[in-house]
Formats: sequence, C-alpha cells, structure tokens
Amino acid sequence: MNDQVDEGPGEQTASFRAIRPDDPPPDSTPEPVINSAAVTAAKAKVLPAQEGSAGRKSESAWAHLSVSSTPAEEPDPEPGAPSASESDAEPGAAESDKTPAESEFGESDEPRSYFTPPSRTKAPRDSASDSPPRDAFTPIARANSPKREPDSSIETASTKEDNSVSSPATHPPKAGSGPKSDGLTDRPDDLSDSADDATLDDIADQVADSADPEPFAADSPEPEKPESRSVGHFAASGSTDDTRWNIPRDAAGSPQASGTFTEPVREFTEPVHEEKLPTTVSAALTSALNQLREAVTGLHFGLDVPGADEARKAQAAVLTQLDDYVIPRVHMSTAPALIVVAGSTGAGKSTLVNTLAAQQVSATGVRRPTTGTPVLACHPDDRDWFVKGDLLAGLTRLDKPGEGAGVDSIVIAPTERLPQGVALLDTPDIDSVVEEHHQIAHRMLDAADLWVFVTTAARYADAPSWGLLRLAKERNARLVIILSRVPVKSRDVIVKHFVRMLDEYGLGEVERFVVNETAVTNGRLPDDQVTELRMWLAELSVDDQRRTQAIQMTLNGVLNSFRNRVPALARHLETQVALRADLRSDVDSAYMSALAEIDEATRNGSLLRGEVLARWQDFAGSGDLMRTLQLRRASKSGQHGPERLRALKGALHTGLESVITSAAQRAAEEVVTRWRQRAGAGDKLAAIPGLGRPTEEAVRRTARMVTSWQDHVTELIRTEGVTKRSVAKLVSFDVQSLSLIFTVGLLGYGTTDVSVGSGNSALPQRLLRGLLGAESLRSISAKARSDLRARIGLLFDDETLRYVDALDSAGIPDEAAATRLYQATYNLEVAR
Amino acid sequence: MTISAEPRHGLGTRLAALAKVVELGQGRVDPELLDEATQLLLRAGNRLKLSPDHTVVALAGGTGSGKSSLFNSVSGLELSPTGVRRPTTARTHACVWGLEGAAPLLDWLQIQWRHRFARASALDKGESQLHGLILLDLPDHDSIRALTDNEADRLITAADLIVWVLDPQKYADAATHRRYVAELAGHDAVTVFVLNQADRLTPEEQAICVADLEDLLEREGVANPKVVATSATNGKGIDSLKAVLAESVSARRAGYLRLEADLDKLMLRVAKDMPDVLHVEPTVDGARRVGLTDALCDAVGAPAVGEAIENVYGVRSIDWVGWPYARWAGRLRPDPLKSLRLGDVKDDIRTLVGGSVRAQPAEVDNAVQALSDGLSQGMPEVWQDGIRDAARSRSGQLPKVLTDELGEIAPPLDRVPAWWWLAKIWQYLLVLLFVAGLGVTGAIIAYGGFKTGPPPTELLGDLDVLPWVLLMMVSVLGVGLLSAVASRNFVVLAAGTERDRLERDMRRRVSGVAQELVVEPVERELQRYNDYHEALNTAKY
Repeated sequence: MNDQVDEGPGEQTASFRAIRPDDPPPDSTPEPVINSAAVTAAKAKVLPAQEGSAGRKSESAWAHLSVSSTPAEEPDPEPGAPSASESDAEPGAAESDKTPAESEFGESDEPRSYFTPPSRTKAPRDSASDSPPRDAFTPIARANSPKREPDSSIETASTKEDNSVSSPATHPPKAGSGPKSDGLTDRPDDLSDSADDATLDDIADQVADSADPEPFAADSPEPEKPESRSVGHFAASGSTDDTRWNIPRDAAGSPQASGTFTEPVREFTEPVHEEKLPTTVSAALTSALNQLREAVTGLHFGLDVPGADEARKAQAAVLTQLDDYVIPRVHMSTAPALIVVAGSTGAGKSTLVNTLAAQQVSATGVRRPTTGTPVLACHPDDRDWFVKGDLLAGLTRLDKPGEGAGVDSIVIAPTERLPQGVALLDTPDIDSVVEEHHQIAHRMLDAADLWVFVTTAARYADAPSWGLLRLAKERNARLVIILSRVPVKSRDVIVKHFVRMLDEYGLGEVERFVVNETAVTNGRLPDDQVTELRMWLAELSVDDQRRTQAIQMTLNGVLNSFRNRVPALARHLETQVALRADLRSDVDSAYMSALAEIDEATRNGSLLRGEVLARWQDFAGSGDLMRTLQLRRASKSGQHGPERLRALKGALHTGLESVITSAAQRAAEEVVTRWRQRAGAGDKLAAIPGLGRPTEEAVRRTARMVTSWQDHVTELIRTEGVTKRSVAKLVSFDVQSLSLIFTVGLLGYGTTDVSVGSGNSALPQRLLRGLLGAESLRSISAKARSDLRARIGLLFDDETLRYVDALDSAGIPDEAAATRLYQATYNLEVAR
Repeated sequence: MTISAEPRHGLGTRLAALAKVVELGQGRVDPELLDEATQLLLRAGNRLKLSPDHTVVALAGGTGSGKSSLFNSVSGLELSPTGVRRPTTARTHACVWGLEGAAPLLDWLQIQWRHRFARASALDKGESQLHGLILLDLPDHDSIRALTDNEADRLITAADLIVWVLDPQKYADAATHRRYVAELAGHDAVTVFVLNQADRLTPEEQAICVADLEDLLEREGVANPKVVATSATNGKGIDSLKAVLAESVSARRAGYLRLEADLDKLMLRVAKDMPDVLHVEPTVDGARRVGLTDALCDAVGAPAVGEAIENVYGVRSIDWVGWPYARWAGRLRPDPLKSLRLGDVKDDIRTLVGGSVRAQPAEVDNAVQALSDGLSQGMPEVWQDGIRDAARSRSGQLPKVLTDELGEIAPPLDRVPAWWWLAKIWQYLLVLLFVAGLGVTGAIIAYGGFKTGPPPTELLGDLDVLPWVLLMMVSVLGVGLLSAVASRNFVVLAAGTERDRLERDMRRRVSGVAQELVVEPVERELQRYNDYHEALNTAKY
C-alpha cells in the first residue's frame, strides 16, 4: 500500500510532464485517461452499495454511474439488481451495457465549451450509423478509444474524452426513466442484493471505521477496476491513481506518505504548470485586466436612472471579482481550487462542509439564517496560500467565527481530512431575510473556481435557487449540484422530478449528488452520505489536469462574462451621459427660450404697456419731452418735473424687471416640467424643492441689473451720444431724459439696429436721430441692446447653475469612460 | 359601495372618505397609489357585501412548507393533494364549514368549482366553532412557478385572515418576509404564523426556532406575533391552530379588521407628503386681495394714467382755457424743434397721448404668481403647483380684460371737455372786446384829439370817455387773465377729481376682474385642498 502510495505521485508527475505538447511519448498518453477512468470506476462502485437501487434508479449523472457499473459486475457477485433493471426496460439495460465504456472517460469532467464544435458533433454523426442516436455514441467511443489512444496526440485524446462526457450526460435522464418506476418496489431487494455485492463489503468496512475512511477508499476501487474498465491494460496504472487520491488522508498518519503527497503540491508552484499561461500572454492579460479594473473603478453612476442601482451593483461585482478572483487567479492558475458551496438557507451547506472536513468548521443549527461569515476549509498545507494569497484579498482572515466577524471577513479553517488542492468555502445563504448574506454569497461565488450548489428536497423549486443556477449557466461556471435532505422514502420521485426540471432548464448534464435526509450529529452527517462527494473531491485533488481544466473553465466563463457585463456597464454609462446631456439641454433650452422671450417682449412693444406707457404719455404729453431739448441760451431753466422723469425711469425699471422675472419664472417651471418627463433621474431631481421658481437672489439681482443697465445707457449717451455739430450749436439736452427717451425707443418701440434707418420710425427715434445722427444712434442701440442681453445672459447663467449643481451633485459621469470600457474589453479579448 | 350595519360604521366612514380622497386626489397623488386605493375600495365593497358570516382564512407559505398537509389536517380530509415534488399545489383549494352564503364569496375569490369542498355538516365532529370558516390552501409564492402566477398574491390580498405556514428550513426566507410579512406588518390582528413540520425538531430546537422566528417578526414590525408550532404529520399543534381559527371565525371580525389594516397601511403611504395639520384658509384674505388688485392696477398702469390725466390736462388746457396773450407770446420764442427739422413731433406726441393704455402681461403674470406663492406657503409641492395652475387658469385673458376695463373708464388724454370751448370762446370774446376797446380808443384819440373829422357819434369824439375806455380795456385784460387762472384751477381740480374717480373705478373694476378670473379658481383649489385634507384625515384615523 505504501509502496503504491510512493509510486503514485511520482507517476502522476511524470504523466503531467508528459502531457506537455512538446513531449509526446506515446506510452504516456493514456495516463490522463486512466486517471479519470479509474476514479470513475471507484465512484461507480461505491454508489450502488451505499444507496441501494435508489441510487441506481435515479437516472442522470450520478445514476448512470451505478447503472453502468452494475452490468459489468453482473457476472460475479450479484444477479438481482441487473436483472431487475434489464427486465424493466430494455433500452435502459442496453445503455447500461455501454455506459462502462463511457465511464472510462465519462468522469473526466472537462468543460465542453473548451473544445471545438467539430469534434463534438463528430461523435453523434458516427454513431448514427449503427444504433439509435442517443445511445449510439457510447459504443463508438468505446470502439474508437482504444484505437485512437495510442496513435493520437494528447489533444485528440482529451477531445475524445470530452465527447464521451457530453454525450452520456445528455441522455441519462431518459435512460433512467424506464427502470425508475419500479424503483420503489424493487428497492428492498436491491438493497439486500447490493449487500451481497463486493462493493458493499467496502462500504461495510467504511462504515465500521467511519472515522478513518481510507480503507474503503483504498479498497473499493480495486475490485471494481477490472470490471468497469473494459480496457484491461490500464488497470495497473489505474490502481496507482486510486492510491493517489487517498494520499492526503493518509498523510496525517503516515510520515512516509507525507513526503510523497507534498510532491504534487510543490509542482503547483513550479513553472511547469504555469506554462498554461505563457509569461507574455500573462503580462498582456495582466495589463489588460488592470486596464479593465481601472476603467471599471473610474465609473460613476450618479443619476438614478432606472437600472442605475443594478449598474452600480454590477460595477461593484465586476470590481470585486477582478480583485478577489480574476487577477489572482490569472497569476496562479493552478493554485488550490476554491470550491464554493452556495445555496438556500437551511439547505445544509455548513453541515455538508463540516462532514467533508470531518470537523465542526462552520456552525450549524436550526436558526435561520445560520452562517453569516464565509468559512473556508482547506488542507493545512493549502492554508498559507489562502491566508496570504491574493484570492479574496479584500477579506479579513479569521481563525474562527466570532464577534469580530463582519461583512468583510472570512474564516479559514484547516483540516486534514480535505484533500490538497481543493478548498471548500461555506457561504451564507442566498435567500434569507438577511440581505447582506446574499451579497456575501455572491461575492464568494464570483471568486469560485467551482460552484457547488446545494438545494434540498423542499426547496429545489424555489425561485432564488433557480436564479443562482441561471447565473451559473450564464457565467458558464463549473457547477456541481447537490440535492440534500432528501427523504429516503420519496427519493426517486424527487430526484426524477428535479432532474427533469434541470433538463428543461438545460442543466441536465451538470454533475449531481444526492444526500439523504439523516440525523445530524454534532453538525455533521453520517460519513457514508458523502462518500461520493468525498471521492469527487479526491479526484479533483489528485487529477491536476482535471482541476486545472475546471479552474480554467470557470475562469474562462468569468472572462467571457466580462464581454457582456462590461459593455453593459458602458451602455449604462452612455445612458447616463446621454440623460445628463438631455437634462442639461433641458435647462439650456428653457433659459434660451426665456432669453428669446425677453428679446421678443422688448421688440414688439409689449414692454410699452401699462405703467410704462402711461408714464411715457405723461412725460411726452405734459411737455417734458419738449423741454428736454433746450435752446442753449435758455438752458438754465432745468427745474422741469423731475418727479415725472423719475416716474418714467421707475416705470421702465419695473417693466423691464417684471419681463425678466416673469421669463425667469417660466424658464424655471419649464425646466422642472421637462425634467419631470425624463424617466427616473429627472423627476427625482425635479423634486428638489425650489427648483420650480427663480431664486430670491435672482429677483434681487434682476433689480440691480436693470438699474446698472440704465446707468450704463445713460453713460453711453453721455460719452457716445455726441450731438451733431449743427444741433449742438442750438440745442443742449439733459442726458438723463435723453437716455430715458432712448430706452423707451429701444425697448418700447423695438428700435433695432436695422429699423433706425427707415423713414417711418417712431417718435423717440426721430427725435434721437435728429439729435445724435443715425450712425451714432445705431451704434448706441446696438451696444445697449447687446449689453442688456449680456447682463440677462449672465443672470440666467447663474440661475442655470443651480440646475447644473443639482445634476453635478449626482456626480459627473466621465464621457470617455464608456470608450475606455469598450477598449478594455477589447484589449482583454485580444490578450486572451 | 354599500356599507352595512352599525358596527362597521367606522370603516364605512373611512372608506367613504377614501373614495373622496381618490376623487380629489386625481392629479395630485401618485396615480399608482390612487389605483391601489381604488382597488381597495372595490375589494372592500365586494367583501363587505358578501357573506359577513364567513371568514376567509388563507394558508400561505413557501413551497414544501406543508400548506396542503396542514389544510388536510385541519379539515380532517384528504382534500388537497400533498406530495414531495416541488411545487405541489398549483390551484387554490377551499374547504367551507357552513355552506350557506359561501358560494358568491367563493366566486368572488375565483376558486374553481372542482376545488371547493364543504364539510357536510358544521356540527359533525363537534366542529361547530369553526362554522363560517372558509379555509384556502394557496399555491406557494416562492417557486419558479409562482414567478408567472399571481394567484397566491391575489388571494393573500383578498383573504380575511392569513396563516403563514413556515417550516424550520424556510422560516427565514426573504421571499416570504420581504415581500409579504414586512409589507403586511400592520396586519397583526389578521395574521397568524405557523411553524409547521415541528416534528422534525427536538423540543429544545423547536423552542429556539419559535423564539428566533418571533424575534425576526418583531424586528420586521409585527407586534405580538402569534406563532403556533404544528406538525401536520403527527397532529401536534393542530388543535391550537384550530382554536386560533375558531376564535377568529366566531368573532366574525377578521374581514373587517383586515380591511381596516389595509386601509391603515394605504393611508400611511397616501398621507406621507401631507402635513398633519395644515388647514388653509379657504378664502383669499382681504390683504391678499388688495395686494393683487394693487399689483394688477400697476400692471395696467392705472395710477400712472391718473397722474398723466392730471398733468396732461393741465398742460393741454393752456391751449384752451389759458390766457391767449401769454400763448401768443410763447409762440414768439424760437422753437428748437424747427431748427432740428424734426417735422411734426407735436403730432406724434398728440397721437401718442391719444393712444389707450394696455396691460403689461409680464406684470400681470407676476402679480398672479405672487398671490399663489403667498397662499400656497407650507403646502406640499404638488398642491402648490395646483394652486398656481388654478391662479393661472384664466390669466391668459386677464391682460385683455384689464385693458378693456381701463379703456371703458379712462378718458382719452386728448379729450376736450365742453366747458373748455366755452372758456375759449369767452377768452376770445374778451380779446375781441379788448380789440374793440383798442379801436374805440384809437377813434377817440383820432376824432377827439386830432379832430380828423366829425365823429360818427358823440361819444367817439369825447376825450373824457377815454379813461373809461382804457379802464375797460384793462378790465378786459384783467378779466381774461383772471378767468384763465380760474379756468386753469378748474382744470386742475377737475383733473384731480377725474384721477380720483378713475383710480377708484379702476380699483373696483380690477378687483372684480381679479375676483372672477383669479381669486375664484384659487379659492376652489383651496377648498379642494381642504376637502382632500379633511377626507385624508378621516380616512386615516
């Protein structure tokens, strides 16, 4: 035994080196195949023994293993079970004949997406020739594989493996549906039959010393191997594989073994494995990822557009995932695989992890939700990696769950019972009332290399569970489903139903395990419930290639998901930028039209109404207008009605002010009205109190502004209104009055730069033209008007500021950020 | 809506008030809320109309919690299929204790005929205390099936009493708590929690579970949650559940309490933005009216027109009633306008002065705005907007109406009163007299002094008459001057009177216009606000 142990890892190492394409010795090629096949055999063996025909009858991924092993076993120990299944359903039996061949490769678990479609489609096409299509490819695979293996390169071998994996995975549910119906009645027989089975002896052993499961693990595959493996010459190497996954458990007890099992671990850090990512690629990828990270970090979604919350969450998720997972994982692609156990509250995640870790690493209980802090269970030798590594670097490492545990902590619990190279992470639930738990769980899943989804017999139809499955599917993450807490008596019905649902959902080919509802002691299940799982973990631990592939698959899935997720962020940002621009242009156009309104009011004579007109009539009618112009000689008598002058000036002031105020009021209302019509962000911003009316400050400033403009006009008249020489000899005029007349002419009669010249103009113009000359009047008019416009513009600009402030308070989206995101996504694709 | 019976008076009044809230709140309250309120009114109306003797109890919960098992346990029959597949129940099953009158209620609840069951006699097995119970076994609300089916939602809304069936595995699911329990936090009186599948727990664990559940519920705002631990498999706790149901059924108040709780919850949301006590004065007070009238008078320029009348009449009257000699003398002075060759500026001025004054629209707007701003202070924004819109509702025609009013009462500035003609004739008569006096004086001097010929009459030759004639001429001049001064004073006085009258009339008319076009719509809106506020408060408490 120990010899084997010593030998095993050494051989494995050799096989790994051999895998490298540059070194393809023909004899080393079968070995990866052997690894998986042997382990499969072991697994297939254990299952029927452990669960009786229930396991066998429940078709699907786990079922086909047991079914497949049964016919092979048939000759020697046990006639009962196979006969039952054969008599029920011929097709099922026929299939099960073939399945052993599948199981050679079937459990290698390589991600389908990894391989090119042609190789995948090829198998079914071949198979169509000799048997019903669904079952057909298995014989082909069997027939072909021995032939191909020796002469094909490693790549093709692995491709074939993939074929065979995908094909059985698609059909088992149907194959199993036949015998299924009889499963209930047959069960007792099967159970007793299987007790005779050679495998059951192993189980018995195992149950006997459940504290130390290694005997069964070591033993059980051995009788199985020759049976399940139709290709006999792999048997020898297969046995070394078996010992290999059993090593870590052995390690605690045997110092001899410890030397050997550390070897693969060392190898993880060796460049040999890093070669998956050549340094140049890695550098490019790293820089692309950093670029992506920067681009995503720089995003700011300030406006509460519909979907902004989702976008913010998505942004945080992408960022966390980059930091927690993608960047560290790209650097250390073959480091221990992080298996994240996620699922509903009360599904038994912690119990499962405890059982697998064979110690109470995570608290269990009847309170829901139970686990609040993620607990990572790993082999002691992997502990450093997780404590110091970059994976989930943002989380505080704790030794045990306690008071200090918060949202950002993770408990790392080393346990000898877990194999090396795989770590189990127990997460909080995804569906309890404590919403932080969902976030933590999703964060953990984002950092997972493998997703283990745990659901129960009572929960498997819950919407949140399917949400998670959908996510896994979208991400193309490596997924394993565990149906837990299954009552033994209704196991078949439930499993069948669940499998059908999974099939309908397109997840029929996902690896699955069933755990019965049993008494939980000390936060653990009886060890026999998880034998299968333990073995699966062991396989994963042992089979570097497979683990690496699983890791790569999930990593690829995540990187692929960036193709959609990042552009989605960019699109949302563009929406925000566009919306912001719209909101901004709402403001601008509202105030532009207010300006135009004022312009119009000061041109069409509507200003010369009401009091202004009355005062003007008063001013003109009472002779003050005429008195403004005085003969030089009599210029002293300037005591004409200053109160009328003031009144006219005041009226003009009030009139102009009210035109501006009213326009500002309308503009403010217009902005709010328009903003309210903008979905999401607009109406929230519009609800900011006070935006619907001009500010107090604006009203005060309007008054001051009009006064200063009037002063400016007076000044213009004084400095530029040089009287025509011919006139100056005869007449002097009062600047104040003249500027008023000018203002009336400008605003009341709509004197424009153009119409000054026309003959049929109004009184003030004629008067002024007579006094100042057309040229001078025109220039003063133009100046005065543009000055007024500038002043109002300034005032309105300050008014618009508060809308811009309101917009900016939501944050200013960077318009180039979207482009950067697209660029980063593109670069990432190129770097891959 | 029919509201029956005495004891429901409170709810009836409140529902009536809610109907008013819905009516008055159109356009002022979030349409979704109004929609909900309408739904509630409809539901309340229907429920109160339908058999008040029955209590609809819904067993709600997640898939696999054992609703159907519990349903069967309580009814004592295998009515609803149970199973291990999830989800099991897709359609609601109903079991009725005491059939009479239940059919319309079940119709209203839209329970299919084939899923209706009746306990043959209310008296069998001594279950008379459950008489009047309609027990519903709802489909789950949390499975993937429920995503496309709102049956559970619908019946959870419609039931009188809701029994949440939870189990040790799922009792803390967000699907139940966030969407329903926390939402229905005020419904303590009509909510019962059942921790089913208690047989799966040891007594200690059960105690922990129940305590934990109670804690959770209290944190969510459920005051004094009723938690019953049951086991449909071994029958434990079923009797306690039945007792709870029986209590509710015999009281016959669950439906009433349910609607009350719904109403309470809805009103909290409707009244969210409303101040508790802000009754606005439903009429526009005097000061504001005066303010509005003043502002509108200013907008139309009434005071300025008054002043202009005074000044312009004063100036213009000189041409008519002034002393002609002074006028003639003034003409002799050089006219600067002539030297500027400006042409007929005087005509322009005359035209200008002849024009009527129109209201300044911007100022009218501002006046109306000021009024609504002042009135709506402290009101919720949406009602402020309402007041403003009401104030503006007819302000489009306001400038024109004001202009017309002013035009009717303000005399044109170039008007010439009749007595100005008389005064002018009088002045010219005096001038004629003076000229005649000059003639007579000349004649006397010629005939009497220089003896140029025989005087046509005795008198013209008599130098002694001369002083008298001169005296008369001076008197004529004096009279002319005096009457000019007097006329001028009369003009000023008349203009002053005119101005006063104008301003008075104008104020009266403007305030009339303002009352009709601004104040009345505003007061209607204020009244609406008060009514709404009152209805809201009635519906709230």
